[in-house]
Amino acid sequence: MALFPLHSNFQADFVVQLVPVDSEDTMDWVAEQCAKHSVNRRVRKQSGVMRVRRHRTEEFFPRDMTVAESGLKPTEVIDIVYQES
Amino acid sequence: MAIHNSDKWYDLTRATNWTPSYVSEEELFPDEMCGSMGIPMENWEVYDEPYKTTFPEYVKVQREKDAGAYSVKAALERAKIIDKSDPGWVTILKQHYGAIALGEYAAVTGEARMSRFSKAPGNRNMAMFGMLDETRHGQIQLYFPHEYCKTDRQFDWAWKAYHQNDWASLAAKHFFDDIITGRDAIGVAIMLTFGFETGFTNMQFLGLAADAADAGDYTFANLISSIQTDESRHAQQGGPALEILIANGKKEEAQKKVDMAVWRAWRLFAVLTGPAMDYYTPLEHRSSSFKEFMHEWIVGQFERSLIDLGLDKPWYWDTFMEELDSTHHGYHLGVWYWRPTIWWNPAAGVTPEERSWLEEKYPGWNSRWGQCWDVITENLLADKEELTLPETLPLVCNMNQLPICGIPGEEHWDMKVYTVEKDGRLYHFSNEVDKWVFEQDPQRYEQHMSIVDRFLNGDVQPMTLQGALEYMGMEGVAEIGKDAHAYAWLEKVKTSMKKAS
Repeated sequence: MALFPLHSNFQADFVVQLVPVDSEDTMDWVAEQCAKHSVNRRVRKQSGVMRVRRHRTEEFFPRDMTVAESGLKPTEVIDIVYQES
Repeated sequence: MAIHNSDKWYDLTRATNWTPSYVSEEELFPDEMCGSMGIPMENWEVYDEPYKTTFPEYVKVQREKDAGAYSVKAALERAKIIDKSDPGWVTILKQHYGAIALGEYAAVTGEARMSRFSKAPGNRNMAMFGMLDETRHGQIQLYFPHEYCKTDRQFDWAWKAYHQNDWASLAAKHFFDDIITGRDAIGVAIMLTFGFETGFTNMQFLGLAADAADAGDYTFANLISSIQTDESRHAQQGGPALEILIANGKKEEAQKKVDMAVWRAWRLFAVLTGPAMDYYTPLEHRSSSFKEFMHEWIVGQFERSLIDLGLDKPWYWDTFMEELDSTHHGYHLGVWYWRPTIWWNPAAGVTPEERSWLEEKYPGWNSRWGQCWDVITENLLADKEELTLPETLPLVCNMNQLPICGIPGEEHWDMKVYTVEKDGRLYHFSNEVDKWVFEQDPQRYEQHMSIVDRFLNGDVQPMTLQGALEYMGMEGVAEIGKDAHAYAWLEKVKTSMKKAS
């Protein structure tokens, strides 16, 4: 369990933001934390599931993968993108 | 005793030079301070500055200018322009003075560096007058806002801003340290006088003067036009230096410095002048859009001066031109959203009428930034102000220290962060050019910590918004930024909605 800073590039938002999470958090939880700083603030909630990937890559991390398991580095940029469930 | 006219002796005195005999040329002009790229002293003798003045002439003319500026100020004090102006206009003054006043003072150091360490005697001579100019600019842009301090603490930031760790202060200081205080004499000549002064300052000091006159603020219009007449003189120091560099086979080195300075200046202008022209200036007083001003001053004039000197357009010119449609819209949205962290009160600038103007000047604005503003407007109408205020920090670029922004909106969303990993640390950049600047000299920049780096390093305590505000130098509610009109613009939105329904 360790504080783990990531930078959120949330779908349709205008800016990348600092989102501190925990190394044991799952990707679903990370997406929720990122959404808090974008959804209903500057972007509308979309239908579907929020998925997490390394910035500007194609492959999403599995939803139940933890930050520690993902290989992400502290302060790395992640994209949060809605996908059909 | 009769005094000769200056044309009889000027050429003798303007280029006072001598061959050192007690010390070597290298000891007199150490390369670290001079930056002459191995070009010897005798090759710099041909330096010929377009504007020339003698000390008696300088004193006479400057005294007249000051008498003019100060008397206009005194005459108009009773007009109480600050009390009567649109709050958006007052905001521009606060932003300008805070961002500029001590930058002018830093420029004294840059002029001093040229005055001592340039191998070109004409440059050394003119830089002495440049020091006096920048001293004037620092002092006058502290004196003018000072009368407002007693009623509005945000005007205190005219002096205070550069002494703080506010993110906007860090952005300004990083830029000016890079092109002024942390550069050799020739670097200053190229990056400050040519890149920044001839390129961009006309935007802030002449473009904005046009808006100021339109808004009825003649004190400010007169002040900044007066300042710019000095600029037109000392900004000419860079051109002749570039000519000598190019003539001595150093075009590539000169071009790189120009390219770096122009890009860095662009990003600072996009966050300051962009919002001022397109959002804070009341709609009826906007003489041109930011993009139109940029085309007139940068594309129309500066580009020509580059070509005339024998330089090329910077390698990123196409990217730069594209960014005129987008960068400052993101910066404005960011500055407004993070408004508690700045010393001015940003005007949202998004009434229906203003959004139509934005759509006209920047087709597609509504389906991009407009979508973010839709959500913000709805939250304010529903009394959910808390959702229009931040609970975290934006990622800032490790070069320009500004929020990393992209194109928003459901249809057009596009964001690209450029990341470099070095010695176990990630450096993030807002675009390829800022990354390129870093890569030209990583040792120069790598130890700097952005506001986000400092936060993650534990420098901001407590690690809350309040802790961040205190770290940034905010001394209470009277200083933190708020919506310029206290959301009064929502009434126009409601009226428009009623008409529509």
